[in-house]
Amino acid sequence: MKIINCPLNGPRNAQEFVHGGEVVAHPDPHRCSDAEWADFVFMEENRAGVVREWWCHVATAYWFIAERDTVKDEFLRTYDPSELFRDRVEFTRPDPPPDPDPPLDPDPPLDPDPPLDKEA
Amino acid sequence: MSLAPGDHLRRSFLYRELAALDALFDEVNGHAAAMTCGGDTAQEIARARSLGLCDLSALRRVGYKGWNTAAWLAAQGASMGAESNRAYAQADGTRIARLAPGEALLLGTLHGGGALIDQLGAAWSMAHADGCFQVPREDVSCWLSVSGEHAAAMFAKLCGVDLRPAKFPLHAIAQTSVARLNAIVIRRDVGETLAYDLLTDIASAVYLWRALLDAMAEFDGAPVGLAAIRGLAGPQPSEG
Repeated sequence: MKIINCPLNGPRNAQEFVHGGEVVAHPDPHRCSDAEWADFVFMEENRAGVVREWWCHVATAYWFIAERDTVKDEFLRTYDPSELFRDRVEFTRPDPPPDPDPPLDPDPPLDPDPPLDKEA
Repeated sequence: MSLAPGDHLRRSFLYRELAALDALFDEVNGHAAAMTCGGDTAQEIARARSLGLCDLSALRRVGYKGWNTAAWLAAQGASMGAESNRAYAQADGTRIARLAPGEALLLGTLHGGGALIDQLGAAWSMAHADGCFQVPREDVSCWLSVSGEHAAAMFAKLCGVDLRPAKFPLHAIAQTSVARLNAIVIRRDVGETLAYDLLTDIASAVYLWRALLDAMAEFDGAPVGLAAIRGLAGPQPSEG
């Protein structure tokens, strides 16, 4: 059984862990292009060599970062994400700029009491 | 006289398993708790010293989680060391299991007490929770006790972590896979007897109970009632 060293729980059987993909910089979702966002969401670099990856210890739902050599299939180092991520990421949408040309004729409100269709 | 667990009391998730053993029930914290599991208490104490499995679901437990948990608990008078995966005994007999820098699990006493748990529950509110959130455990986490000299050998069949007493000291915690379930294992020792608390998802309690009994059969292990575990601890003030 391959052993992975969890920064919180110590050495554990590899079957207690799941892989969470490469560690990549998070683009600003409100300002990046669709192509940049699609690249972030869907694309993997899949490098042969030393990579930095997210891993989760399932028994504790603890996410950490591992540096792994994909050629030798060896874990070189595992550490808490706080070593890389020190600031909280806010996902609130920034206020949009005021619309310089608002539509003049919004949809008319629905008639609250339409006449009944006698034929129906 | 035994209570019927179906009568207006809160029931253990294992009550059907326990009732099938001719368990005698008594009320603990509003639960019907199995005090014996078919034998008399003296027999079950001897069994618990060898290898016994006990349902502790009637006992108090709660969790707190969040980046500010340690500071909030300290402000309420609960003392917890800096090391994670270790349990810390409190003055009232409650134990605080530090599961991570930002997560704590509080376990009440074998006699149903939980003064600190009540105190924290009264002090905590969602409105004032600043980085410390309550984690309900009593209806979420199944709590079993595995005790006796063969306990570590039995766990070796179900768990990859070395839980032998020489390698897994008193108050150590392993959060790992037991019988393929995510589990928290805490060494607690009751009196002079080696014992482990085992907490897992409540929905899998019956599976785990049967899996443990199957693994214990090799060592003549069997279910015991809460009275036997209390008996290991001796008089109430000195319980483990």
